[in-house]
Amino acid sequence: MKLYKKEGNILQILSFPNENSEKGDYLLIEDPDANKALIAQVIDMQFANIPGVLEELLRTLPDGGEPIQGEDIDPLEIAPHITYMQDASLLICKTRATLQNEVLSPSSSWLPSRSQSTIKKLSVPMLMKLAKVEGTRPIIVGGTKDSALLTIDATAIDGTLNIVTGKKGCGKSHLSKLLIGSLIGYKATVVIFDLNGEYTSIGMTNDGKRNMYYDKIHALTPSQNFKVALDQLHLNVVMGILIHALHLPGTSSREFRRLWKNLKEKGCLKLQEMGEAIRNLNCNQHVRDALSSRYHAFVNSGFFTDNPAEATFLDECLLKAKDQGGAIIINLRNTSTIDRQIVVEYVLGKLVDSLQSWKLKATFLFAEEAHLYLRETYWDDIVTRMRHFGIFTTFITNQPDTIRESIYRQADNIFLFNFTNEHDLDVVSRAARVDAETVRSIAKDLPPHYCLTLGKVVHDFPIVARVRSLDMKTMGETRLFFKSMN
Amino acid sequence: MIEQYTITTTPKYNFPQPTIDTTLPQRFLEQSLHSLKQVQHQPFQLNQQNFQQFQILEQHPSNLRLKRQPITLKPNHQETTIAAVDTSTIKIGETSTGIIIAIRGATTWKQNRNYRYTRLGPFIFHITEENKNELYKTLEKSYFNTLYSSNRHAIPHLMQMPTRLASLLERWLQTMLAKTVTNGLILFDGSLTSGTMDTPIQRMKDILTLARRNKNTVLAFSKMTSLRVNGYLITDQLPKHEAPYLLETTGIQFKSPTIVLGDVRMNAVEKILGNDLYMQGYPETLRLSHILCTFTANEVLAIKHFITRKHGIQIINRPDMHKLLFGPFGKGEFS
Repeated sequence: MKLYKKEGNILQILSFPNENSEKGDYLLIEDPDANKALIAQVIDMQFANIPGVLEELLRTLPDGGEPIQGEDIDPLEIAPHITYMQDASLLICKTRATLQNEVLSPSSSWLPSRSQSTIKKLSVPMLMKLAKVEGTRPIIVGGTKDSALLTIDATAIDGTLNIVTGKKGCGKSHLSKLLIGSLIGYKATVVIFDLNGEYTSIGMTNDGKRNMYYDKIHALTPSQNFKVALDQLHLNVVMGILIHALHLPGTSSREFRRLWKNLKEKGCLKLQEMGEAIRNLNCNQHVRDALSSRYHAFVNSGFFTDNPAEATFLDECLLKAKDQGGAIIINLRNTSTIDRQIVVEYVLGKLVDSLQSWKLKATFLFAEEAHLYLRETYWDDIVTRMRHFGIFTTFITNQPDTIRESIYRQADNIFLFNFTNEHDLDVVSRAARVDAETVRSIAKDLPPHYCLTLGKVVHDFPIVARVRSLDMKTMGETRLFFKSMN
Repeated sequence: MIEQYTITTTPKYNFPQPTIDTTLPQRFLEQSLHSLKQVQHQPFQLNQQNFQQFQILEQHPSNLRLKRQPITLKPNHQETTIAAVDTSTIKIGETSTGIIIAIRGATTWKQNRNYRYTRLGPFIFHITEENKNELYKTLEKSYFNTLYSSNRHAIPHLMQMPTRLASLLERWLQTMLAKTVTNGLILFDGSLTSGTMDTPIQRMKDILTLARRNKNTVLAFSKMTSLRVNGYLITDQLPKHEAPYLLETTGIQFKSPTIVLGDVRMNAVEKILGNDLYMQGYPETLRLSHILCTFTANEVLAIKHFITRKHGIQIINRPDMHKLLFGPFGKGEFS
C-alpha cells in the first residue's frame, strides 16, 4: 500500500489486489522519520485511476457488444501483471488519530511522508489496546472481520444515551438482547418496552430450556399479569396519564385532581367509586363528559383493577432487580395505542418516582419503536432530566427519522446496522460522535447481523463487527403465511 | 492493392492450422529472456518521451495521372475469409547500456460473421549496442533460414531496433497467414513498400508467392498517403464522389528500386466491402488487429512491474530534461 493523497482528514491510499482491505478496516501509516503514525479507517474503496484501463476494457468488446473471441499467446506471462495493475484500488480513508510514543491523540494535523511511510493493517485488538478500550465489565459484542472479538465495557453504556438502528431484519433486537443479557449479568436493572412481545422469552434457551437469566426476567403483560390498583398510584402519575396519554384539558384536569383528593381522603380510591363520583360531580357538563370518557378509557384498558390480589407491584419487581439485577419486560403486544400510552406513562412515572426517592439507583431503559408510545415531551425529558435521575435509555428503531435530531446529537453510542436508504443514513449521520461520510459509506454495505459500533464504547473508533449468536429464544421472527405450506 | 491469382472460395476455412511454424515466437522468447538476463539488477530509467516511429520515405512514381471518372464498387457478399495482421512496439525505458522495448503482434480474422484473434506477445527485449546485431541476425535467420540483409547497412541503429524487430514479427505473422489462409483476403497494415532495410524485396515477394499459392489476395492499407497529382493529394482529387471507389492511373512509370508486384483486383476490393465493416475506408478486421496489438498505458505499467519483479531491474527516476528546461512547454501542445 502507498499513500497517495491527503485532503482534509481524508486519505487516499493505493492498494494492490494482494493487499486485501475492506471497508471498516483500520490502517496504520507509520512515518519512521517523524516517529509517529496516523491511524486511518477505510470508509470507501474505488478502482485506482490507472491510465489505459478504459482502452483495455473497450478493446475486449468490439464485436457487437460480445467479447471478441481469441487466443493470447503470452510466453512471458505478462497478463497477470496487467490484471494486477487493473485491479489496483484506491482506499478512501478517514484519519482517526495520531499515534506517538504509544499514546493516541485525536489530532491529524501533520502529514506523513508519501515516499517513506509504510502502511499496514491495524487489527481491532491492537487498536482497542492502543485506545485503551478495556474495563472490568466486558461485553462481547461479536467478531470482527479479522476474527478478533469486539469487546466493549458495560460501564461505557452506564449513564449514556444509546441508539440501535438499522433496517428490518438485520439484527437490532438481537443486539439489544445481547446488551440486556450482559447488563443483567452485571446485576443491572433493565426495563424494556417490548412492542412486539419478542423479549418475553429471553430467559429461555433456543430449545426452550431455562437459561442463566431465567430467574431475572420479569415479563409483565398489561391487563393480564400487569394490573394496577388505583390506590397504588401517585396522583402525579395519574395526571401524567390523563394529560399526556388521554389529552385531558386543563379545566377538567383541575376537577379530576380535586375529585382524586376527595376519594383518597375518604379512602375509597376504587374504579367504581371514581365512576360514581364523576357521574355525581357538580360541574360543567363538558367537564363531566371529558372526565367520564377518560374514566371509561381507564376501565376499558383493563390495566386498572380494584382487586389488590390482581395488582402487580412494579416496585417489587424493581426491588428484586435492584438486588440481583434483572429485566422488567413490559409486553406491549396486543395493546391498543391509547392503552400502550397509559402503560408507558405509568411505568415511566413510577420509575422517576422510584429513582427520585432512591429506591432505585439507576435503570437501563430499552425502548423499541418509541415513537409509537412516547409522548413528544418525553424525548427531551429522557435525554436531559431523566438521565440525571438515572434512566439510561437505548432507543431501538428501524425508522431513524422517528427519533428526534436532538437525541442523535446527544447520543453517546450508536449501534448501526445496514441501511440502504440515503434518507435514513442522513438522519443517523447527524449524530455528534460520528462523521457523516463514515456512516453513509460503511452502513450502506453492512451485511445482515453486522453492526457498526460508534461512540463512547469504542472510544470513537468506529468498528464493524458481526454480532455474536445468543442462546436465547428469539421471538422476533415474522409470522409467515407460506411458511407452514413448504 | 495487389492482384492475386484466381480466387475460388471454399466453404471450409482452415485457419489456424495445427502445424503452424512456431520457430519465430520461440526465438523471440529465447532472445527476449536472454537479453533481459543481461540487464538483471541494473537500474533503468523510465521512458520519458514518446517513441518516435521512423518514417519510411515512399518512392513516389513520377508522371502520375488519374482518370477523372472513379470506378465505383459494388459490395460482393460471397463469403470470404478476411484476415489481417498488425504489430506494435513501445520503448519501456533506458538502461545505462541500451533500451528496453516491448513488441506484440496480432492477427484477426472474420469468419462466419464473427471476429477472432490471436495475439502474440508481448516480447520484451533489452537491446544494447553489443547484442543488437546478434539479436537481429538470430531472429532474421530463424525467419526464412536465410539472411536477406547480409550487408553491413542492414544492421540497424539502436533506436531503429524496435521498429525493425516489430517489422520482423509482422512479416512472420503475414507469412503465417499466407500459409494458412486459403481463398481469403489478407490485409496488411501500411503500404506494400519493399526494398527497404526492414523489408527486402525478396521477403515481400516470398510472402506474396505464398499467398498466391493458397489463392489469397493481399490488400495493404495505408492510413495516410503522400501521393499527389498536380500538387493535390490523391484522396482530395474527387471530393464530390462518395468513397470508397477506385482511381485508375495512367502514365505511371516506376523507377528502380520500385517494382510492380501485382495489379489491382477489383473483385477483391468488392469482396472486402461485402464481407467486412469499414469505417473511413479502413476495414474493421485490420482495425481490430491494430487495436489488439497496441500497448495501453496500463500494459506499459504492467511490463515495468514485470521487469522489476521478475528480473530485478530497478527503476530510477532521472529528471526529465525537457520538463526541467521547458516546464509545461517541454512536451509540445499535449503536455
